[in-house]
Amino acid sequence: MNAAPQRPSFDARVHAALGNPLLKVAIDRTTGNARSKRAAAMAAWPGFAAARELGRDIKDHVIAHLDHYLVQFERNALASGAQIHWARNGPEACEMVVAICRKAGARSVTRAKSMLGEEIGLPHALEAAGIERVETDLAEHIIQLAGDPPSHIVWPALHKTREQVAELFRAHHHDPGALASVEAMVASARHELRSRFLAADVGISGANFLVADTGAVCTVTNEGNAELTTTPPRVHIVTAGIEKLVPSTAHAMTLLRLLVRSATGAELTQYTTFHCGPKRPGDLDGPTEFHIVLVDGGRTRMLAEGLADMLRCIRCGACLNHCVVYRQIGGHAYGSTYPGPMGSVLTPMLTGLAQSKDLPRACTLNGQCQEVCPVAIPLPTLLRGWRSRLWSSGLESLTVRQGLAVWRFLALHPALYRRVSGWAVRIMSWFARGGWIRRMPLAGGWTRERDLPRPPDRTFIAQYRRRMRRP
Amino acid sequence: MSDARSTILSAVSSALERRRGGSPAAEEATIAAEAERLRARADATRPDRLRGGPETAFLERLVSAAVAASAERVATLAEFPAAVRRYLTAKGLASSVAMQPHPDLLALDWPQIETHGQIHIDEPVAVGLALGAIAETGTLVFHSGPTSPTLFAFLPAHHIVAIEARRIWSWLEDYADAIAGRAQPRNVNLITGPSGTTDIEGTLVRGAHGPGWLHVVLVGSADAQQSSNN
Repeated sequence: MNAAPQRPSFDARVHAALGNPLLKVAIDRTTGNARSKRAAAMAAWPGFAAARELGRDIKDHVIAHLDHYLVQFERNALASGAQIHWARNGPEACEMVVAICRKAGARSVTRAKSMLGEEIGLPHALEAAGIERVETDLAEHIIQLAGDPPSHIVWPALHKTREQVAELFRAHHHDPGALASVEAMVASARHELRSRFLAADVGISGANFLVADTGAVCTVTNEGNAELTTTPPRVHIVTAGIEKLVPSTAHAMTLLRLLVRSATGAELTQYTTFHCGPKRPGDLDGPTEFHIVLVDGGRTRMLAEGLADMLRCIRCGACLNHCVVYRQIGGHAYGSTYPGPMGSVLTPMLTGLAQSKDLPRACTLNGQCQEVCPVAIPLPTLLRGWRSRLWSSGLESLTVRQGLAVWRFLALHPALYRRVSGWAVRIMSWFARGGWIRRMPLAGGWTRERDLPRPPDRTFIAQYRRRMRRP
Repeated sequence: MSDARSTILSAVSSALERRRGGSPAAEEATIAAEAERLRARADATRPDRLRGGPETAFLERLVSAAVAASAERVATLAEFPAAVRRYLTAKGLASSVAMQPHPDLLALDWPQIETHGQIHIDEPVAVGLALGAIAETGTLVFHSGPTSPTLFAFLPAHHIVAIEARRIWSWLEDYADAIAGRAQPRNVNLITGPSGTTDIEGTLVRGAHGPGWLHVVLVGSADAQQSSNN
């Protein structure tokens, strides 16, 4: 692995994001839309609570028998004519994909959005191998032109306003057209990418589900780009995490109901496709080679190290849309492939806790993410687990450790705690002007950005005692 | 890369063994029985959509704002070409269409319409016959094959599709059960409305890469046969 390039700290990235007014507008537009559409879809579905439990149990069942289902999937996929490859990690998976492309003599590759592809660094690996990569999902096309990483797992270009998209298309499209409306921008991208679909030698997609009893790979899209990516080229390559299995097509249906409503508020995406093997004799279109690369990439470690609940994740993005932190700072500030609550659970596993120790802390533990999760992943509990591990592995800073030691001592001596907190509220009120504290020693981290409300004159316990004394 | 395969599978097995506290893995039959119990639980969770029967539910869902297809009914497949012609006239489209090479469509008479069997990258109109439909979600089902190439559903600007009423399944699981244990086609395409995207500021725009318009012609009525028996 290459050494990670020097990049700004988490605090610096958050600071930059908070200071960007356009970003806040862009985040609010898309996540606000997503939240209200999801709420409407759930309100119209009385069975949601039961379906959510079922979704959780289906995924737990698969994970509890993952070895069985992996072997069953492999057997059925091979029988359909697919070629199966196993990769222990991202670099190994990328190597395999590049090797298949080279063997096919591929110059141009189309790609349908896949978060696993981003996770394993496939865009970069293709570029490094000198293979032209054409992103076909509209959002991925936008961020490819901009040279940005994705900022959301469902809407990767969520951070771009329509004006910024128009500018990119004007600069990069061969025949951009007028670009006066979002409709015109979508038409411009359609026109630009049309011929690229048919010219590609290889099409690469991810997988939303791997169906064990048929060996099929399920993808969901609204644009139709996945099928245009995977049908015309001679070779179709799927990269999929090993946790994507479901027992059968019927089980996939429950998860599809949950996934799509949670992601966009629709009941089903426009295109739900089960890809099973290469072109059959007599078929008039379809690839002659169908490859599936099954990637571990830390998933077996998650299974072994107490993060099996996270393997249920179906990547709907609802936890991002409902996270008060994500909605302020957006996806890029997290500095990882997966942002938001699910990302803060996954990233320490994927990149190491020392490199991502700020992420489990970037959470208020308000529990919204768990509440909206369609497979009931206890995200706050998992984030707290990372915080405990930060503490036990000595990754917390000396200031935090000393501060907590002082707090612990006081908490174990209640009489002293009451006295000290009584002093503290009195001292704080000296600095208050008109109900707010503008500046105070030791509180610069707070007051630099905003005022601190003046606390009551007495602590809760003091007030409680005084009231109890009254007849 | 069989090395990676055995590494991954043994890592999975040893992690699972630790989770089970060393007890042996479940037998295949036990796993299958558990999966079947999970499958059976789905029926109670499905959205209540089927009032008025599958045909009514399918058409209502199809033309709802969320799916945004258009639809009409005809009595027999022989009336399909006239429905296509009406659609072309209403939309001001040229009378040249790509025809999905399905024998039932090829057997029809197509007066005043020029049909061709090849589909062009910027094809204005394609005419097709779906294998089936799902009422719950307003979904058309296509299986790829010699009489149903995949690209006919993805390249045209307008996709006009005939579907026979007797081929409507009520729920997503009904379709899944119907194909269970059978040979799978290369592609199963479940199509729910015309293509769309919300990738720019969450604004919905139709006609992203796939068709911008989907028109469904429901042929015959299985519900009507039942009610005429009353």
